[in-house]
Amino acid sequence: MTHNQHRSHPLFFLIILVLIGCTAKPSKNEANTETEEELVTRALEIHNRVLTVDTHADTPLRMIEPGFDMAERHDPNETGSKVDYPRMKEGGLDAIFFAAFVAQDIRDDDGNTRAKALCLQMMDSIVTSTERNSDIVGLALNPDDAYNLEKEGKRAIYIGIENGYPVGKDLSNVELYFNKGVRYITLVHSSNNDLADSATDPNGTEHGGISDFGVDVVKEMNRLGIMVDVSHGNDSVFYDAIALSKAPIIASHSNARAVTDHKRNMTDEMLKLMAENGGVVQLTMLANYLREAPSNPERDSAVAALRASRKPAGEMTREERIALRQAFNELDEEYPVPPATVKHVVDHIDHIVEVAGIDHVGIGCDFDGGGGIEGIFDASEVMNITIELVKRGYTEEQIQKIWGGNLIRVFKEVQAVAEKIQSDELS
Amino acid sequence: MKFKTVCRLFFLFILLGQSAQVTSHPLRLSLCEVEYTGSKQLLTINLKLFLMDVNEALVFDPNSKELAFCQPNESAQANQMLLDYLNQFFYVKANGRKINLKIESKKLSGEGDNVALGIFFKYQQHQPLISLEIKNAVFTDLFFDQNNIVYVHVNGESNSLMLNKKTTTHRLTF
Repeated sequence: MTHNQHRSHPLFFLIILVLIGCTAKPSKNEANTETEEELVTRALEIHNRVLTVDTHADTPLRMIEPGFDMAERHDPNETGSKVDYPRMKEGGLDAIFFAAFVAQDIRDDDGNTRAKALCLQMMDSIVTSTERNSDIVGLALNPDDAYNLEKEGKRAIYIGIENGYPVGKDLSNVELYFNKGVRYITLVHSSNNDLADSATDPNGTEHGGISDFGVDVVKEMNRLGIMVDVSHGNDSVFYDAIALSKAPIIASHSNARAVTDHKRNMTDEMLKLMAENGGVVQLTMLANYLREAPSNPERDSAVAALRASRKPAGEMTREERIALRQAFNELDEEYPVPPATVKHVVDHIDHIVEVAGIDHVGIGCDFDGGGGIEGIFDASEVMNITIELVKRGYTEEQIQKIWGGNLIRVFKEVQAVAEKIQSDELS
Repeated sequence: MKFKTVCRLFFLFILLGQSAQVTSHPLRLSLCEVEYTGSKQLLTINLKLFLMDVNEALVFDPNSKELAFCQPNESAQANQMLLDYLNQFFYVKANGRKINLKIESKKLSGEGDNVALGIFFKYQQHQPLISLEIKNAVFTDLFFDQNNIVYVHVNGESNSLMLNKKTTTHRLTF
């Protein structure tokens, strides 16, 4: 077992919750008559009834792993895989957006051509996976598809694009991707592209937000009915998108900056504007977006002492290196990093609800893209979000909005705007 | 030409998300681009690794300045230690023949915890490329959830695959 291996398991977590409940005071919920165990049972029933949608998973990266089978249950402690169809079922996750992601490369014709080819390959992987597993999942293209597939007992698989780089400089690619099934595009990723500026590009802003070409892309997305995703964009991208888009926008995986100060998270001003816009912020399970990384001075001291005692690295034998690695692994196990938990997640939800309202928050875990925390380590554990929401007094109606209702509402509005634009074009 | 090729490396490393580890960069990921152009009989390999991971693997300290990659005071041992490590966890076989890794150039990009070390290899491949076998298990000795994306471009056709601790190697035929 390597030093940062996660040991959580959904059943284990549930059992702990129940055991805690056996010794805890009755919950304040249900007029103080409900035990913790009863609360968990009620929460799981709610979780089962509502449509649960996760708007962001980088699982297509797994799909290009030779031999990886989405129909098999994978142990997240083996390779870190966070999503497959059996675990979606275990976690009661009804629908998910798989993001076709291509890393930012050089922005010339050659690079754009390659990005397009790689993006199409990812989309084909998604579609092929749904076709091979059509007894348990279905490719979803429209908002109601999620509900219809749920009634059939199937998981709904939507497609998004993370990073507008594969659009290149060719606007017609937007329609090509729409026809392939893409229903949102994250305009930019971790460095600037031809559409927009990134929140994390070391060279800073290039376009001052959305570029002239990006403006055309947003208009085309509005025309076609593709949701505009501002996650990963810098603050100016958000403001430009809000001003520009004729349809509500989304942040497919971002949190609240007032709770955790990270430039990938959204300020209160942004949250309020998102509410005015009618859009939705989808909470993500990225530890460093959820809480300030706590200090661990005991571990730091122990690691420093171990480093100080070692031979120069260039003089070490292979056996000595292996022994030293083992010593570091043991230190990590002795002094584990305090994890982000579901409580941090719902702290963000509480804040967004307070600032923007219950209609503007959802869930976008970013599994297989770094997302996964204690208690929500993979798709099989997402029910723990619902349990914490119930513990904090959220009603079923509110949970239904958070888990999918808000996103579906936005999705429908985006399609309605597209229909109107296309209708206006004809008249 | 070399500069242009090096520039083909990804401008900024992939940061899809963040892990729970405090002392680390966000995600356990590396990027590799293998390209073959038949008309030039040229096979190039670009590896892009988080510098923190490289330092952790080589000198047990993610923030170490000891090897000082790409700095004026770069350690005389830096390249050899890097190659010694890569030769344990990475190879490319062209037509079944393992390529002898020899660093053509290196480059740093990004900032803070996200600085990436780009490592560029270049070979003359005179015979038409029939198969490529790629092993990429870098940093799987450090992180159980390390994933290594490989982009393969052969004569204008692009393909991508993911290699990791479970699936370290894959062979493509053309």
